[in-house]
Amino acid sequence: MPDSVTRRRTWSLPRQPGLVLSAVLLAAVLLAAVAPGVFTGQDPITGVPAERLRAPSPAHLFGTDETGRDVFARVVHGASLSLRATVLAVLVALVAGAAIGLLAGFRGGWLDAVVMRVVDVLQAVPAILLSLAVVTALGFGTTNVAIAVGVSNLAAFARLMRAEVLRVRSSVFVESARASGVRWPGVLARHVLPNAAGPVLVLATLTFGTAVLEVSALSFLGFGATPPTPEWGALVAGGRNFLATAWWMTTLPGLTVAAVVLATNRLSRALDGERSELR
Amino acid sequence: MTAVIRRLAQAIVVLWAAFTLSFVILYLLPGDAVLTKLGSADGGINASPEQIAQVRAEYGVDDPVLVQYGKRLWAALHGDFGRSIATGDDATHQVLSALPPTLAVSGFALVLAVVFGGGIAVLGTYTRARWLSHLLLSLPPLGISLPSFWVGLLLIQVFSFQLGLLPALGSTGFASLVLPSVTLALPTGAIIGQVLAKSLRTQLAQPYVEIVRAKGASRRRVHFGHALRNAALPALTLVGVVAGNLLAGSVITETVFSRDGVGRVTAAAVSVQDIPVVQAVIVLAAFFFVTLNLVVDLLYPVLDPRLARVPGELTRRERSHA
Amino acid sequence: MFGHGPSHPARTTALALALPLLLAACSSAGGTGTTEAGPPRSGGTLRLGISSNPDCLDPQQVGTNAALNVGRQLTDSLTDQDPTTGQITPWLAERWEVNADSTSFTFHLRTDATFSDGSPVDANAVKTSFDGIKALGAKSLLGSSYLAAYQGSTVLDASTVRIDFSAPSAQFLQASSTMSLSVLAPAAYQRTAEQRCQGEGLIGSGPFVFSSFKPNQEIVLTKRTGYHWGSPLWQHQGEAYLDRIDFKVVPEPAVRTGSLVSGQLDAITDVQPVDEPQFTTAGFTEPVRPNPGIVFNLHANTTRGVLADEAVRQAVSKGINRAEVTSTVLTPNYKPATSILGSATPLHTDLSAQLAYDPAGATALLEADGWVAGPDGIRVKAGQRLTASVIFSSVFNQNQSVLELIQQQLRRIGFDLRIELHTNTENTQRQQSGDYDFLWYNVTRSDPDILRQHFSTKAGNRSRLTPGNPLDEVLDQQAATVAEDVRGLAVDQAQRLIVEHAYAIPVFELTQVHALGPNAHDIGFEASSRLRLFDAWVSGS
Repeated sequence: MPDSVTRRRTWSLPRQPGLVLSAVLLAAVLLAAVAPGVFTGQDPITGVPAERLRAPSPAHLFGTDETGRDVFARVVHGASLSLRATVLAVLVALVAGAAIGLLAGFRGGWLDAVVMRVVDVLQAVPAILLSLAVVTALGFGTTNVAIAVGVSNLAAFARLMRAEVLRVRSSVFVESARASGVRWPGVLARHVLPNAAGPVLVLATLTFGTAVLEVSALSFLGFGATPPTPEWGALVAGGRNFLATAWWMTTLPGLTVAAVVLATNRLSRALDGERSELR
Repeated sequence: MTAVIRRLAQAIVVLWAAFTLSFVILYLLPGDAVLTKLGSADGGINASPEQIAQVRAEYGVDDPVLVQYGKRLWAALHGDFGRSIATGDDATHQVLSALPPTLAVSGFALVLAVVFGGGIAVLGTYTRARWLSHLLLSLPPLGISLPSFWVGLLLIQVFSFQLGLLPALGSTGFASLVLPSVTLALPTGAIIGQVLAKSLRTQLAQPYVEIVRAKGASRRRVHFGHALRNAALPALTLVGVVAGNLLAGSVITETVFSRDGVGRVTAAAVSVQDIPVVQAVIVLAAFFFVTLNLVVDLLYPVLDPRLARVPGELTRRERSHA
Repeated sequence: MFGHGPSHPARTTALALALPLLLAACSSAGGTGTTEAGPPRSGGTLRLGISSNPDCLDPQQVGTNAALNVGRQLTDSLTDQDPTTGQITPWLAERWEVNADSTSFTFHLRTDATFSDGSPVDANAVKTSFDGIKALGAKSLLGSSYLAAYQGSTVLDASTVRIDFSAPSAQFLQASSTMSLSVLAPAAYQRTAEQRCQGEGLIGSGPFVFSSFKPNQEIVLTKRTGYHWGSPLWQHQGEAYLDRIDFKVVPEPAVRTGSLVSGQLDAITDVQPVDEPQFTTAGFTEPVRPNPGIVFNLHANTTRGVLADEAVRQAVSKGINRAEVTSTVLTPNYKPATSILGSATPLHTDLSAQLAYDPAGATALLEADGWVAGPDGIRVKAGQRLTASVIFSSVFNQNQSVLELIQQQLRRIGFDLRIELHTNTENTQRQQSGDYDFLWYNVTRSDPDILRQHFSTKAGNRSRLTPGNPLDEVLDQQAATVAEDVRGLAVDQAQRLIVEHAYAIPVFELTQVHALGPNAHDIGFEASSRLRLFDAWVSGS
């Protein structure tokens, strides 16, 4: 990263309406995950068969689905499960990936070589194929889908972490810390982790968006989580047969997913900018 | 030269590891392909246990795991991945014959992605109109955030079913290439656009830009002559990511557009645990990835002597950000 | 009636009788019949969208509808089965005799049929073909069970072949009408099973011949010129009308539907319930036929948990509102189950009174059995919760929704049904090892012997019953005779025993719903509800 980024203050909020909007949206999604009742009073699980396939209206903001369930209620109630799945996926990728990268970067030598070849493989096999195989192995269910998506995104974190470790390891202040007798765990805690946190966080927010989409792609291919409780990916994928007759069933949840992914990307960019600034 | 040999050795290790990984994952799955095949009739298995055992023996899935692995590896070294248990076709043949339609769509998609993704990045960073720049540069993130099966189905609805301009299915003729390629190009183009735009902005903030400008170079010349040339280099390291993306995306687009191809073959093979086919695909994918990265890594210092010192590290950093 | 084939004069009457009935069956729910479009026209190509890729095309090996629908057009069988009456009628065999205990079947073949390689369809070819199917073993997904007790074939003369079994096999007569036991040319067996799967050496005597197969893309069949040995049940004789059939593999239901509406396809199979209304409008026809065989059911493992208790199983059966299942999640084309056998199965008994929705009765049964309402609405007895799981795969798209609705219905009587979606493989494995409470599945077979295969303790025994129970006895009885009266009684008993003891809880009949565009006509069903394209034709475009 170039250190010569101009030190302009880019964080004055009024100048960043997109960022504000993104933050508000993500806050709303978080709120929906914890307290869906704030947004809708309708039942997401049992519908009114008489009101099936209604177009969006004030009564049903996102319309209703084939069994008369309110799509908006399903999207709102789906936030919790979707976020849980996505966060789990990102955590799996982050924790496992970062640990691998840390190990490889620190130990170096043959261990580094071996570990990084494994990471090569993980990256060489397209993510969706990897997650397909993992889901088939673990069985269906939100948690398993989340783990599968996490595993398929693990390589990027491992690489990033290793690169950070190598960068920090060779830097002057670590050399001097080492010289003055600070042990590796100390170096790790004091120098490596705080420095690596920024880029890893940026990558995590980016992965968050990818994860939402991958979960929905898996649902589309019939490998997804299919509990009766709504989940975003499954909502978008499940409504696609109605695209001609009831466009709202897949389009509105799809746009919701797109908006959330956009918002996290925006946030990620802001974090990235801030990071560059602090350098 | 030793560096080249070392990279080659690493590439071979990666191929071997991909082969092994796919074997381990599929082997760990409950049941096996024979059981799936025999259970595919509605109502499930009709055959007696003895008959099932006989088929298992025929496909060698009842051998001890290490024997199976050894046999497969030995055969794979000779380019033979075995017969598909589901279709009975030779696995290598099945995958290779599915390759041309996938390459056709991917190739066209790549062209679209580079032209539009690159175009958006260049224009978005070049234009003086702030609103236009904002608009253009907000497109790539949007492209990444739309589920591609949804985009594909929407394109079919509008351009094929409503307007009747393009066919919704089949793989014959150029017309059938358009919609799948556009669908596939969207996320790929978005990635290219995003990385190139970022790279361009970084370049434009470099001190040399000021120097070149001070020497009287025009804005256009600075932008296209210097910044773009330098910015394109990091984007080159995306080749591996883009290739993987295209292959992964083909799983979706081929299903939506009812096309044959590697994606369809793979998704089907994974779901029925057809180990020979999955291994053939994964090794093929790994081969592409490894070869592309090898070429890029080897070319990198040649194209940009400034980076000859640490080629691997920077490329990886950029790759992981994509 | 089943002792010998109808004589020649009877054949024409059979045809005359079957024709209007067939048409009625085809257009029962699809509005007006397609014959209005004028007299059938020869020539043209039918572009037919199918929902999944047939991994294999050899009808003797495959088990999925997609593959059977293709294979049926390529090959002929010894007999045919009347879709309306279930009677077995002549086809390649003009007549046949069955011995007293149904272990020996002698077929007298017509002498003018040839395979597409020019070789004659004679006794030797039939023997080679049946021996070939037997040799496939488990690779013949359906044939292996039809020929489970197959001992061998004997060529009596050029046009007479005797087929012997080591155990009574009354079902074989119906099986001889299926594509799974259709006859391939001797030359076909010089290729491997895998080659036949890909179409190499797939030589039959059927009204169409294999032309090309692009996996995941399309299968092309062309007309067999000079064909004139079609089943008398069919609407016309001679060659097929169509010059060519393009089976296009279109996995996405929405794309299938849209392609038909926009004229990119002439007809499609597997119309999703949601899309059905689109094809009731002018210009489109919807051929509909329920599948014979075992209906979609919750097959109970009677050795597991609360399902060991017969009262619980009966209560579950009473607690399911079958009419609500078909009207909410499916469409009027799908019928609630009236027995464990589908209504299109020969010797089906209507037990709809026993399968009526009766939540009060269910509650009473559970109360009397000591199950009391727990804090969360689910009943408990001696610390045991009234709960069972059902394992299923999404072979049929609506499975998930149907089971979710049943789950809601059963919750009302205090029963907690846990729904577990698994891959096909895992389901097969669990079914084989008996690791399930309820299995959710259906089987297509136009013969009641399918009950023996899945309920007899000597066969599948999916209810995990103990040998020597009354059900075993009646199932053996029906296997031992082709005499309809004796068999009918045994099959009736079997259906009653299964429904009364709730060994399996029938829910709804799987139904084939296809859609034809304005140009496609007379796509029919054979007795197992698979496609028969011999009479299909396309109007000028």
